[in-house]
Amino acid sequence: MISIHNISKVFNAGRPNEVTAVGGVSLDVRMEQTTILKGPSGSGKTTLLGLIGCMARPSAGRIFLKQREITSLPERFLTDIRRTTFGFIFQQCNLIKGITALENVMLPAYPTGEKFSTLRGRAQATLAMLGVEKRAEAKIEWLSGGEAQRVAVARALINNPAVIIADEPTAHLDTKLSLEFIGIMRELKSRGTTIIIASHDPIICESWLAEQVVELRDGRIVAGATMS
Amino acid sequence: MAHMIERHRHIIDFTLATLLRRKGKNGGLLLVYTLIIFVLASVLFFTEAIRREAMLVLQESPEIIVQRTQAGRYQTVPMSWCAGIGSINGVGSAQPRLWGYHYDRTRLANYTFMVPAQDPPGAGHVDLGGAVARMLGAATGDTVAFQGHDGAPRAFTVRKVLEQESQLLTADLVLISEQDYRLFSGVPADQATDLVLQVRNPREYATIVEKITRMHHDARPILRSEILRTYDAVFSWRSGLMLVIFSAATLAFLIFAWDKATGLSAEERAEIGILKAVGWDTSDILLLKFWEGTAISLTAFLAGTILAYLHVFHTSASLFAPVLKGWSTLYPSFRLPPLLDFQQVVTLFILTVVPYTITTIVPSWRAATIDPDAVMR
Amino acid sequence: MAPRRSTMFLGTLAALLLGLAGMLLHARAEEQVARQALARNAARVRQLRLTDLCLCTEASYTRHPTLTDFATPFQDAPMSWEHFPTGAVIQPPPHLVTRHGTHD
Repeated sequence: MISIHNISKVFNAGRPNEVTAVGGVSLDVRMEQTTILKGPSGSGKTTLLGLIGCMARPSAGRIFLKQREITSLPERFLTDIRRTTFGFIFQQCNLIKGITALENVMLPAYPTGEKFSTLRGRAQATLAMLGVEKRAEAKIEWLSGGEAQRVAVARALINNPAVIIADEPTAHLDTKLSLEFIGIMRELKSRGTTIIIASHDPIICESWLAEQVVELRDGRIVAGATMS
Repeated sequence: MAHMIERHRHIIDFTLATLLRRKGKNGGLLLVYTLIIFVLASVLFFTEAIRREAMLVLQESPEIIVQRTQAGRYQTVPMSWCAGIGSINGVGSAQPRLWGYHYDRTRLANYTFMVPAQDPPGAGHVDLGGAVARMLGAATGDTVAFQGHDGAPRAFTVRKVLEQESQLLTADLVLISEQDYRLFSGVPADQATDLVLQVRNPREYATIVEKITRMHHDARPILRSEILRTYDAVFSWRSGLMLVIFSAATLAFLIFAWDKATGLSAEERAEIGILKAVGWDTSDILLLKFWEGTAISLTAFLAGTILAYLHVFHTSASLFAPVLKGWSTLYPSFRLPPLLDFQQVVTLFILTVVPYTITTIVPSWRAATIDPDAVMR
Repeated sequence: MAPRRSTMFLGTLAALLLGLAGMLLHARAEEQVARQALARNAARVRQLRLTDLCLCTEASYTRHPTLTDFATPFQDAPMSWEHFPTGAVIQPPPHLVTRHGTHD
């Protein structure tokens, strides 16, 4: 379980352009379940995802991952947790151009120093699971939008994360591809992966995918939070 | 350990993939960089080999040479000086040396005519230095002709051609008997080009030099130590060639550094953000940049140094030949012994590879420490 | 499957390092041979009472830099423009420059 205790995130603190992106949010995310953060743009969804995924530190409040406080860990440990626990899917695919799809998928595992052949095999298998194994050797710029999205999902899965974090994953996809994406998430969920999605896309919000839907507005939870 | 190596190899894989995205630019960079190192290393190897050879060989040069100057230019020395200077305490012997230059109008070449002290050629014979023999197309037994001071051509038989391995000393020499040389050059019988002194005790050099200049105010003594110092400094960094080469290399290097220091484009920054977001640590990013700098600079250093070695010691610094040749047509074709200064190789490494690698890493430092969530915003 | 880029790169690097090591070994081996040739050349210097290396032949002051007089190098003035290209390469001898002033 990921427990979030009254966290807030303030950008540009003390300056005239100070922004409170998240202000005092408390939330429990249960493992092997799906949580959807919904709300209009600017409601703090992305920032909250970043905080949960150890990408940034909260300005105040604490986060517990499996009863372990992670907010005050040094950066090296945070990176380690981020790498082994979380897989990220971004709004833009954020794939690296000029290298192949396969290399992009392997990228998050490079710092672990895993054996090349094992890693490559797993990356190929992951691409195959998502049905894009034929595009493994293609450069990123040659991929279609749907293929790029699948490669991005494969990259998120390469380190076998317990939690998938997706930020507006369907923002650049049409309805068909969005439904395909939901299918993939459903598949992952059936394997026991915890999924946290930030989205205001009705297709996602009404997909019966989620056990928990949390609505954010102006950095605060307005509906749906469950607290232990 | 295996993990460490594999991590490095993964990162090298990625570095090379990103470098290969701009094949033209990075290939060109590698080429120019190799070229700079090649030139620098060639100059270092060449000058060091010359310097070391000069130091070893000119140990045997005369201890003191005495010249005479008149109106600021050197003139022949009266033979009568020998007796006076020879009688100075500590001077073992004072012998005249007879030598001079000869300009060959038809071949536009300068030769150095010299009367050897030991084993001079007989009358009507000469020994030729390697380059002279090559230029005249002459071999042992052939007849060669030079135009004397009076305009009359004089023919000589070639006794022998001096050995190839001494070309760095003897390439332009024409060894001739004293009698022939006086007739040829018009130096009167009571004059010599300069004097060569033998001194028993090196500690007396200063006193002897002082006595000579007191004896003859127009005398100009030159010590062996000064000869050696001349060759120690002959290619010093202040000479024109060095300045041109080193400033060119420095400028080229500054251009690289500038390109690197300012070249962290928005795209590269975004990529660093992505890498951090997918789980790379700051140290991983810096390792990536380290290999990016090293891949180019180490390859260029190794290739440039090896090429320079081949250039200087196997092709006898053929690219530098025109520089030493100047306007002249006669050029010694010497093979330099590979007298390497290991320290120089290390210095070259430190001066080229290290700064380049650092200029690759440092600009990415700040980008590498950004919060990974920047990529989501 | 093509070999990994890092394999090719590290291979190239290893080959170049071997080349460098070979170069240093070659230099060391040649040095022994060279010492003998240098000894013979030193004997030549003694026999002919030579003072200079024959690097350049175009001008007297670059052919025999140690013996050159005060005026000839730099075309009669220490700061004047050089005529002979080799004059830019060969540094004037220290004993000449220090006796003449500090125009270097």
